Amino acid sequence: MKPLMLHGHERAITKIKYNREGDLLFSASKDKQPNVWYSLNGERLGTFNGHNGSVWCIDVNWDTTRFLSGSGDNTLRIWDCQTGKAISQLSTNSSVRACSFSYSGDLAVYATDKALGHQCEMFVIDIRSPEIILSQEDNICRTLISGSRISSLLWGALDETVITGHENGDINIWDSRTGKKLNDAQGHKGQINDMQFNKDGTMFVTASKDHTAKLFDSDSLMSLKTYKTERPVNSATISPNYDHVVVGGGQDAMDVTTTSTKQGKFDARFFHLVFEEEFARLKGHFGPINSLAFHPNGRTLCTGGEDGYIRINAFDQSYFDFHFEY
Amino acid sequence: MAKKSSSDKAPQNEDPGKTSDEMSNGNEEPNFSDPEDFVDDIEDDELLDDIIEQKPSETDGVESVIVIDGVPIVEPKRLEKLQSVIEKIYGKFGAIVNKYYPQDENGMTKGYVFFEYSNPTSALNAVKQANNYKIDKIHTFKVNLFTDFKKFENIPEDWEPPKSQPFKAATDLHNYLLDPDAYDQFCIVSGNVGSTSVQIWQNCAPDCVVVEDRPRWTDTYVKWSPLGTYLATFHKLGVALWGGPQFPQQVKFIQRGVECIDFSPCERYLVTYSPRSEGTDKRLVMWDILTGQEKRSFQPDGPNVWPIFRWSHNDKYVAYMGEDVLSVYETPSFGLLDKKSIKIPGIRDFSWSPTDNIIAFWVPEDKDVPARVTLMEIPSRNEIRKNNLFNVADCKIFWQKSGDYLCVKVDRFAKKKEKTEQKYTESCKFQTLQHFQGMSYNFEIFHMREKLIPVDSVEIKEPIHSFAWEPVGNKFAIIHGESPSVNVSFYEVRCGHGPALLKKLEKKACNHLFWSPSGQFIVLAGLTTMSGALEFIDTNDFTVMNLTDHYQTSDVEWDPTGRYVVTSVSSWKTSVDNAYWLWTFQGRILKRVNLNHFNQFLWRPRPPTLLTSDQIKEIKKNLKKYSAQFESKDRLRLTRASKELIEKRCALMKSFDTYRTERTEEWNKQKKRRMELRKNIDTDELDSDTKNMDEEVVEFFVKEESFIIDDK
Repeated sequence: MKPLMLHGHERAITKIKYNREGDLLFSASKDKQPNVWYSLNGERLGTFNGHNGSVWCIDVNWDTTRFLSGSGDNTLRIWDCQTGKAISQLSTNSSVRACSFSYSGDLAVYATDKALGHQCEMFVIDIRSPEIILSQEDNICRTLISGSRISSLLWGALDETVITGHENGDINIWDSRTGKKLNDAQGHKGQINDMQFNKDGTMFVTASKDHTAKLFDSDSLMSLKTYKTERPVNSATISPNYDHVVVGGGQDAMDVTTTSTKQGKFDARFFHLVFEEEFARLKGHFGPINSLAFHPNGRTLCTGGEDGYIRINAFDQSYFDFHFEY
Repeated sequence: MAKKSSSDKAPQNEDPGKTSDEMSNGNEEPNFSDPEDFVDDIEDDELLDDIIEQKPSETDGVESVIVIDGVPIVEPKRLEKLQSVIEKIYGKFGAIVNKYYPQDENGMTKGYVFFEYSNPTSALNAVKQANNYKIDKIHTFKVNLFTDFKKFENIPEDWEPPKSQPFKAATDLHNYLLDPDAYDQFCIVSGNVGSTSVQIWQNCAPDCVVVEDRPRWTDTYVKWSPLGTYLATFHKLGVALWGGPQFPQQVKFIQRGVECIDFSPCERYLVTYSPRSEGTDKRLVMWDILTGQEKRSFQPDGPNVWPIFRWSHNDKYVAYMGEDVLSVYETPSFGLLDKKSIKIPGIRDFSWSPTDNIIAFWVPEDKDVPARVTLMEIPSRNEIRKNNLFNVADCKIFWQKSGDYLCVKVDRFAKKKEKTEQKYTESCKFQTLQHFQGMSYNFEIFHMREKLIPVDSVEIKEPIHSFAWEPVGNKFAIIHGESPSVNVSFYEVRCGHGPALLKKLEKKACNHLFWSPSGQFIVLAGLTTMSGALEFIDTNDFTVMNLTDHYQTSDVEWDPTGRYVVTSVSSWKTSVDNAYWLWTFQGRILKRVNLNHFNQFLWRPRPPTLLTSDQIKEIKKNLKKYSAQFESKDRLRLTRASKELIEKRCALMKSFDTYRTERTEEWNKQKKRRMELRKNIDTDELDSDTKNMDEEVVEFFVKEESFIIDDK
């Protein structure tokens, strides 16, 4: 089917995210306004206005009441989903690179960049009454990350831990209350650009600059599978109802002129979760793919690219008919 | 001794005066003369005992002395000339402090010379490098250290014959040819400088298999010998050749900084070249591959086109082009053929026939003499064909691989101008003149197998980008026209006929031609700047079998049998997307291998077939029978492979399932706590929360259509 092309952003897409039900699609870009769309027809529902810099990370809580965004303007903002108004604005020392609501939605975590003489830090905040959170001091747990900075993060099971992916490819698990490191693994050889859970959250897939995506166990951080490409991988996502993993990426923006779009290096690539075999590609973007998301029902794949477009691809019947022989 | 005795006498004569002076001892100038009656009765031993002990013995200091034998015998008046020549040759190894040219009573030299250098190293160098120096066709200098004579004097009387060594069977260098399925091998070099690894693969169906994988096997690149027997690797200290099963080292050649090598066509000899070596290090050495011995070394100077020395097809001769001269050396002596070079004033380029001992060379126009392409037979030096050419800017010589035809591409000025005449002589300007307005291009085709070697000519007025002979057969292809959209023309040459245009393919994006080694098929490729367009063509009927591309392809390599083509993107050219892709000869992709820091792909060459042409014909006739056999074999292999794959998948799935069941159990146990976190609403599945279902109707615009209901 012809994909829906959403062109509401003026600059490269940084992150896209479905809400739990999948009726809404949230998107962030290097322009200053996160957008929200109807996922069914691609109509834009509204924008979140207020940021003064690229928006690097967004999240929506499980009952779609709150929206979280972190930006290069050194703020983290909490918004009301229904009205699109900012409830709280929290100033940080440097860019907010990653943020996430916990499972319950009562807590949130965000990480700031190592920049301007500030170290990379990770903050856990209680957002049951978000209006009073206005500075970095309002936190439950503040952790100084001494080594490589955090480039991606996820909440662990039952709001007890936080899983972080780092610029040097390391993966760590932290106790969300004490900030103590519980487990670590050398996951990749290059920066981890994205981490996404499978449906039940017991495994997650990482996307790394080292040209691979990998599947890890959320507890033991055991590396289960590796999906190899020949490009930096910017995002990877797991199908909720099939054993499929989709990875997307491409050359860094500065090297893009040396790559021909014909070569299909900007394709979303479909791998079998278990066999690590590539079985399909999805063309479309004329720049690297920066973010990927499966619709919670697994029938639609959404991609956001460096070219500023969001494409909602509803799968054809042939996708569902395809089965690996084993 | 005569000399010594005379000098002894002299002081005795003066002695008397000296002593008398000492005795008078006045204020006047002292007189050292001995008195008249003085008798020297004190022996030297008494007087100068301590100094005499240090008196040099006859052999002291002779480490610096060399003896040159084989010097021409000359009469006294030519001695000076001889001296200047010899001293020029041997003077470059160090300062000559003492020289001696023995003469007989008539003043004739005796045919040997003694030189003393200021230090022994110079003498050693002179022996090492100027031994066997050929001064002219009769005289060869034999150089020895003076001390050598002493060494050879003391050879013991009772000579013991050397013990016989146990026989070591040489490794079977051709075992790779015994593969029952006749799979071809190829070699891959990858990695950064300093940590290059070399892999040798076998191109089997359905998947390639590694034969050998060694990290740091070479420092820079590798090269197969022309028949595929050896793999040459480059190292700081020299070059090594590997071969046989498991690739043990066969032989090594020690020479620092070798950058280029060249095998003789029959793999008898190897030429190594270290262009950067300085001083007394050897720069170009010819080795015998089987023994590992050095045969001869040269010091070629100035920039040269590799290979500097070019071999005849049967290893019999090797030729070198100097200024106005072509030197042909014969093997195994590596001496000049007939002891003299061939004088060819103005020679610009030459090339051996791939099948005969014939050299083609060309000389540019000189005043009133036209430019000329000449075919010369070796060793007779008969000029079997001469072809005069006019208004020539440059020539390129292309031999057809089976030696049936020779093509000389001639770049010509349209009109003879005064200006151009001067340009002929300035060779450096030819490059810039290549696309000079009004240039035209001629292809002179020599029919080598016909009587008197008739020559035909094809003229093309457009710039030429590439020319290639069909290796087997009688076609050739030319890329011509203004880039980027160029034309490719195919010509056929037949006995007794001039070249006939078969087909002109217009508006192609290519700059290189790659014929299949067995002819008929050709790949037109747009390398590097043309983004890697590939076109696979069957030249029997000129069907385009496939039109595709491999972005930024830098190399195209046919396998030796002409069944496969590999396109590769080497990290020597570009740093992104380094890969090699395997295609069938029809342009169907078989395999894409992306490899970081991939450098070089080389098919292992095969020696020519041993079948007679009748046998080949027989096989071709019964091809249907054979191909059925092979196809069933291939099918069997494929099913086996897919069975293996499915088994592998099954195993993977099974182990993954065990892991998942465990984890899902744990997850299910946490359900209660999960519910607590989300206000006791079950969100595990999209539709698991039934109580909070809220139906909402959203209307949105689908499309707008307008109808005209009534036309009236």
